[in-house]
Amino acid sequence: MIDNDLKRSTYRKTLKSDGQARIMVTQIKTKATMNKPSGPDWNALLVKVGSHQDKAAFGALFSHFGPLLKGFLLKGGGVEPEQAEELVQETMIKVWRKAPSYAPTQAAASTWMYTIARNTRIDWLRKHAKKNHQTDELVAEDLFDENEESSPFTALIQTRNASNIREHLNSLPQEQLQVLTLMYFQGKSGQEVADELAIPLGTVKSRVRLALQKLKLKISPNGEEQVVYAS
Amino acid sequence: MINNHPNTQLLTDYATGGLSMAPLISITTHLQFCDQCREAVSGLNILGGELLTEGDEAELSDDLLAQTLAMLDAPMATNTDAEAAAETPKSSLCPDLASQLPKYLHRFLNSQELEWRSLSSTLSVAAISVGETDYELALHRIDAGGKAPVHDHKGTELTVVLKGSFSDEDGIYREGDFLMREPGDVHRPSATQDQACICLSVLSAPIKLTGIKQVLNPFMQFNPS
Repeated sequence: MIDNDLKRSTYRKTLKSDGQARIMVTQIKTKATMNKPSGPDWNALLVKVGSHQDKAAFGALFSHFGPLLKGFLLKGGGVEPEQAEELVQETMIKVWRKAPSYAPTQAAASTWMYTIARNTRIDWLRKHAKKNHQTDELVAEDLFDENEESSPFTALIQTRNASNIREHLNSLPQEQLQVLTLMYFQGKSGQEVADELAIPLGTVKSRVRLALQKLKLKISPNGEEQVVYAS
Repeated sequence: MINNHPNTQLLTDYATGGLSMAPLISITTHLQFCDQCREAVSGLNILGGELLTEGDEAELSDDLLAQTLAMLDAPMATNTDAEAAAETPKSSLCPDLASQLPKYLHRFLNSQELEWRSLSSTLSVAAISVGETDYELALHRIDAGGKAPVHDHKGTELTVVLKGSFSDEDGIYREGDFLMREPGDVHRPSATQDQACICLSVLSAPIKLTGIKQVLNPFMQFNPS
């Protein structure tokens, strides 16, 4: 299958740039999250870090999320293993610093970690991009405004979203998972994914749309078509 | 009630970190107004968190945790207070706009003079630099009842209405509405009679003013006719 070949070649590329190749071979694991014995309560640990500067809790979070973050960053490509560790460190230091503002009612620890890692990567890529002349203080954290209070109703929706995603993520067709993986792990836009896979942008869009439908994530009220002339 | 939202692709690109700074700012600005899209983005972030935790682990160097723990004790500038202080908007910012802008934009604009320049008798623009060359970020102001020149788009234009409202051939757009214009769309926005309309806009390429032969970059030059 073309898609699988492409996917393999993507990962092979990653393999080459990574001395610790063995780790990168598997893709999104199909481990059944739902049936996993419930591990430590990461949300609660994160709260402890925020409220008590609890280093033991931080260490536990570090040991769990650190390797996942490194895997996430490496799979994104363009980041060497040492740099990935620097970014893991930077991300975790931000976690420590920002933990007092973490509210488990608004986001799961994993969601929160994801946004911090994403922002750290954006800033890192910007800093290293040649075309960015400005050594500005403009950081991704300030551009994504995610500290909004959420209403109990929103929290409920998010809880439902989370369980839907967990339930259906592993049953997504490979081609859909592949597109999502490229977008999330590499921070690639739809257009860049289309370029990388040599498929039309429309195909990328429809795979994303189908995947989001399967995950029961309602996204744009306007859907695919941008301009709704309602007035 | 907001009727016009970013499409799925833009919101997805936003949540995955695939957007450049200027489009990113336009989406965040829309989110300040729009609960629905904020929820959508939260959902996409949850998906990011799931992909992260379901993804592969890569072994860390043995001493990374110890190193990191040691760094935690390094005194951090308590920059939250400093940042909060810096967020007080300067008066150099267009005063009636200051209260409408998201905080991050405040802080950002505080370090720069906002220079309004006239594009026509009723339309002014103030460019905002975000250190990118692919996009231009700007505030546009159409005076009450004023019309912008008819123009079409060479590139994509993203617009968020910050204050007031404007209409064009296709509809009326109010505070918080998000519009995307694609190459080939021709329109002539005009503000409603009661108040000036201020929009945040992102342009991926110079606008072409219809009826004028040359392609003009409206931020660089435009002689009102």
